[in-house]
Amino acid sequence: MAQLPAQTIHRDPQLFYWILFPITVVMVLTGILRHYASVLMATQPKRFDQKSIKEQRSMVHGVATRSNFHVLSAPSFRARRDYLTNAYESGAFLKDPDRRGQPPANPMTDPNAMDGMMGMMKNNMAMMIPNTLIMSWINAFFSGFVIIKLPFPITVKFKSMLQAGVMTKEMDPRWMSSISWYFLCIFGLQSVFNFILGSDNAASQMAQQMGAMGPQAGPQMFGPGVDPDKQFKTEAENLAVVEHYSVLDDVEDRLLESIKSK
Amino acid sequence: MSSSLLHPPSHLPPATASRHSQQAPGILENSPGAISTSILQSMLSTSETQELWTVYENLMLSCLRTGDDDSAHQCLGRLVNRFGNDNERIMALKGLLKEATATDNASLNLVLQEYEQILQENPPNLPIAKRRAALLRSMGRIPEAVNALNSLLDMSPTDAEAWAELADLYLAQGLYSQAIFAQEEVLVLQPNAWNIHARLGEMLLMAAKTSDASKRLTEALKRFCRSVELCDNYLRGYYGLKLTVQQLLSEPSPKASKQTESEEWAIPASSTLQKLDEAATEKLAEIVRRNSAGEKDWQGYAEAEIEAARELLKSRSTATIR
Repeated sequence: MAQLPAQTIHRDPQLFYWILFPITVVMVLTGILRHYASVLMATQPKRFDQKSIKEQRSMVHGVATRSNFHVLSAPSFRARRDYLTNAYESGAFLKDPDRRGQPPANPMTDPNAMDGMMGMMKNNMAMMIPNTLIMSWINAFFSGFVIIKLPFPITVKFKSMLQAGVMTKEMDPRWMSSISWYFLCIFGLQSVFNFILGSDNAASQMAQQMGAMGPQAGPQMFGPGVDPDKQFKTEAENLAVVEHYSVLDDVEDRLLESIKSK
Repeated sequence: MSSSLLHPPSHLPPATASRHSQQAPGILENSPGAISTSILQSMLSTSETQELWTVYENLMLSCLRTGDDDSAHQCLGRLVNRFGNDNERIMALKGLLKEATATDNASLNLVLQEYEQILQENPPNLPIAKRRAALLRSMGRIPEAVNALNSLLDMSPTDAEAWAELADLYLAQGLYSQAIFAQEEVLVLQPNAWNIHARLGEMLLMAAKTSDASKRLTEALKRFCRSVELCDNYLRGYYGLKLTVQQLLSEPSPKASKQTESEEWAIPASSTLQKLDEAATEKLAEIVRRNSAGEKDWQGYAEAEIEAARELLKSRSTATIR
């Protein structure tokens, strides 16, 4: 099979100054803007009152006791277990003991829960609105032609991604359209933002997506709509079924063994 | 800037802390006092790091320890500039500075009242609650300090630092079972802290003098074993281990009668005790020898601890000669 002649497309060099460069600059500026917008919109971390801190930490305390029971001797573990299960079951740690047994409040009416949702929504909006705007701007002005040729060969699979907006079947996938350049900028400007804004900036969407995937850390252990009383009851059950052993059980033999083997 | 500035000065030997404090004016001059928020300047100057603020905090503590109040004030001023007056940690640092510069009891009382006022407005302010307990203790009002810590722990039972302080307070008062309970709580929260295991062993060893000798000595033995199991060359652990073993060996062991209760640990066989004694002696001798020979990897033990270990070894060898 004969070698296909390399495709050459004569492009106006002005394309670089009037499309490639502006898109990049706009993308960088939007990133910076987004960073400062989210800094401005960030809500102060909410302060918890004494009772909710007590509720949460008592829960954590129980979990710690359950998972580290092996450092305790049997009598001291039993004393703690009795105390904790009793308190959990009687609701001594609850924020408002009067509301036991009632169904949890609707998260939509709870102002505290709304705060968290608003925060999430703001972040998402700060992400989506600029992206939509810029994409439609690029689509409106610069779609329908290729602007750059990548210096390395790539497979046909990339055609739909790199040549979005250019419906030419035969064209080498190395040719890129402006919308592809836009996508490349979205994912590739991370290090530029790191350089300009410092490493924990809010401009990169990657970081935000990672954050959203991670576990919900922080003191907000009882999310909206979770009944703490039920959680306490579960924890009491978990504690009750622990079969106690201790790391101290044969520690002197282990120690002598390890000294001998050295 | 040395990396040891990133550790709280209470973890450092006094010599290092005083060196930091002597360097303080230079460090303050060389590091940025405030980080600008404007884009242009942040592109040109160094970016803000968390370490910078940790350094300021630790430098301030070092300076307070050596009495260099001016540098301490400067550090605090920069921290306040950055984090504002309402930050809980900053509030505690400010209180600390006031405590350190207070000259008489009356001004300390003023600081205490300030703390109480802050706590009334905002009860969950943990740093201030801790400062209050510490201040009460240093003013000699031990029962109030215990109460303060207890109410703090009632709100936040996962605070290992507070539990440890409470254990120390109880120990100072001679309330051994309470101290042991509080120290066990620290272990529940930090299960692999070998120094806490050894500390609990020390408490049990002290408590054994008052009651329940054999049971507490056995547990102390096991605690010390665990601590050296977790940290190979831990001097305090071996020291305590040796002391405990010696006490257990010298004691007429009440056989069989107590071992019927399956819950409690039996006293290990005397052959095991002998072996443990040998191992501990050997290790202590090694530590003392290599430390005094100046071997590089064996420095860092406190001078007093090495001296104590030497004494212990000496007393034992004279005993065997006799």
